[in-house]
Amino acid sequence: METVLSGLATGFGVALDPFNLFLVLAGCFAGTLIGALPGLGPINGVAILLPIAYGMGFGPESALILLAGIYYGAEYGGRISSILLNVPGDAGAVMTTLDGNPMARAGAAGRALSLSAIASFVGGTVSVILLSLFAPALASFAVTFSPADYVALMVFAFASLASLVGKSTVKTLLGATIGLMMATIGIDANTGVARYTFGIPDILAGIDFLIVVVGLFGMAELLTLVEHQVSGKLKSLPVDKSFVRMADLAKCKWTIARASVIGFFIGILPGTGASVASAVAYGTEKRISDSENTFGTGDVRGLAAPEAANNAAAGGAMVPMLTLGIPGSGTTAILLGALLMFNIQPGPMLFIQRPEVAWGLIASMYIGNVALLVINLPLVGLFARMLTIPQHYLTPLIAILAFIGIYTIVGNPFDLLMITGLGIFGWLLRKLDFSLAPVILGFVLGGLFENNLRRALSISGGDWSILVQDYKSIALYVLALLVVIAPIWLGWRARRIKGEASSENG
Amino acid sequence: MVDRIFAGVLLVVALAYSIMAFTAIRAPFQYDPLGPESWPQILSLVAIACLLVMLWRPDATRMGVTRQTWFRLTATVILLAAYAELYEPLGFILSTTLFGVALSAMLGAGALRSAIFGVAAGVIGYVLCVMLLGLNLPEGDLIGPLFDLARQQEGTS
Repeated sequence: METVLSGLATGFGVALDPFNLFLVLAGCFAGTLIGALPGLGPINGVAILLPIAYGMGFGPESALILLAGIYYGAEYGGRISSILLNVPGDAGAVMTTLDGNPMARAGAAGRALSLSAIASFVGGTVSVILLSLFAPALASFAVTFSPADYVALMVFAFASLASLVGKSTVKTLLGATIGLMMATIGIDANTGVARYTFGIPDILAGIDFLIVVVGLFGMAELLTLVEHQVSGKLKSLPVDKSFVRMADLAKCKWTIARASVIGFFIGILPGTGASVASAVAYGTEKRISDSENTFGTGDVRGLAAPEAANNAAAGGAMVPMLTLGIPGSGTTAILLGALLMFNIQPGPMLFIQRPEVAWGLIASMYIGNVALLVINLPLVGLFARMLTIPQHYLTPLIAILAFIGIYTIVGNPFDLLMITGLGIFGWLLRKLDFSLAPVILGFVLGGLFENNLRRALSISGGDWSILVQDYKSIALYVLALLVVIAPIWLGWRARRIKGEASSENG
Repeated sequence: MVDRIFAGVLLVVALAYSIMAFTAIRAPFQYDPLGPESWPQILSLVAIACLLVMLWRPDATRMGVTRQTWFRLTATVILLAAYAELYEPLGFILSTTLFGVALSAMLGAGALRSAIFGVAAGVIGYVLCVMLLGLNLPEGDLIGPLFDLARQQEGTS
């Protein structure tokens, strides 16, 4: 407890620095704007703006504070397009459309927006509080992890990724493997042997993380926008003067509390971000409180649950990223890569070695949540107007921003062709129902995974049994197995129960 | 079908990756039990296994992209590639203006509006990024000398 309080004091010292405070506000504002634009979610926003933030030469804590502000600002903003346009900004906002859009169509757009802003605020704040309590404890436990335990942890991360993310397990696993394979390109740091460089000097040091991120997310998103391009404007519902009532809040208070906790813990699981959290929270709430079958027709609880959950998940996803160095979602994978670019290795030592980065980020999330609530309640009309920016200006703007960001890193025009190529590859993957988060997770974790495996085997002198000698590794392998088997078993049982029911009827 | 073609192409890549991992990559000397080739070997086996499953049981059958959309996508990719190639020779302002005009016009903005958008994106983008944020963007061979001239005049006056 004491470490938490003194840590928070350090953190607020960093976050309340006027320049960092400005960055929190700027990040939150830009994030809300990006999240509100239909089609652009948190991950694309962070991907496109990351190289620019990097190029401006901030200190690591300032850059991270800015990027994190964009991240949860975009989780906030995603609800605006969901409610007013019925077009979710990203997968995490899909559930918000179910009850949010009917409310807006019934003439309660202002009420829906203000209620969801409050639900987001509570979800975000609850998860930051849980984060500041959990993270130091988990970090001090994780210090005892050996390289073999880290290998087990990675196996667990990829197992839960494969079983919980995306439509097809094989495709998710393949996506992660593609990411891991991309990470092997370049000179091997241990022996100095060049791998898969084919003599091209531009990739001797490996494919730059920024190029992969901007290519796979920014440029692929751009091609998707072009593919789904609709001429003319999308029709936005007007924001009226209605506002959230005390009765609504009283009705939703337990919904929001439950959804926040669910969201936080689902966010912690590796690879499962806001989309799974909001879906589970909505499903749970529907089962618990939908006694009159009003969910899906504009029930306030159906709106509050996914909104609280997806913001809580954003905080939860920070826990494994900061304490273990293993990101909990695609977006935190990008933040992790950003830390690595500043030569900061996230992991258990982060809280001891670089407390100003870890705690500064956490403190900035407290401030950011308050700022977002303040920004969002009065300015929602302004953001709503952004929804109607025609796509034919938005699309070229994304490309121009991406090119500026990539060119400013090293000034190499070859990189611009690389992001275009990776964009085509990312678009193809998305077309074929791959999810892109595993690819970026694999790419970010590739080096860590390989190094820990090699280190573990160096310790044992080549004896593979070291991987299963510790109780921590064994526990993680058991968890990994459970995470893979449980959904299959549940699905099989559900089918069998259904089958028995139908055979009894027949 | 699309799934199978994609998996087939990736399988060729994965096999090439695997062959290189098993033959070409060797460290001249090493002390560790795992050399630079072991990890790629493991990965290539996982990838090949996944791809074989995909070939055996594909689930996406068609792309669902109309010919018109293919045309638009190809044009966008060509524009992006041209933008990348012209970035340094023409400089940021000119190349961005051309790209902005071309892409917004292709996506359905009117001729005048797309022209205004392109010029605005090039000029405002340059002013914002180079002068305010201090980022490094190419001046280009055509416009660069003008900047140099302006700088010289500032220096002399």
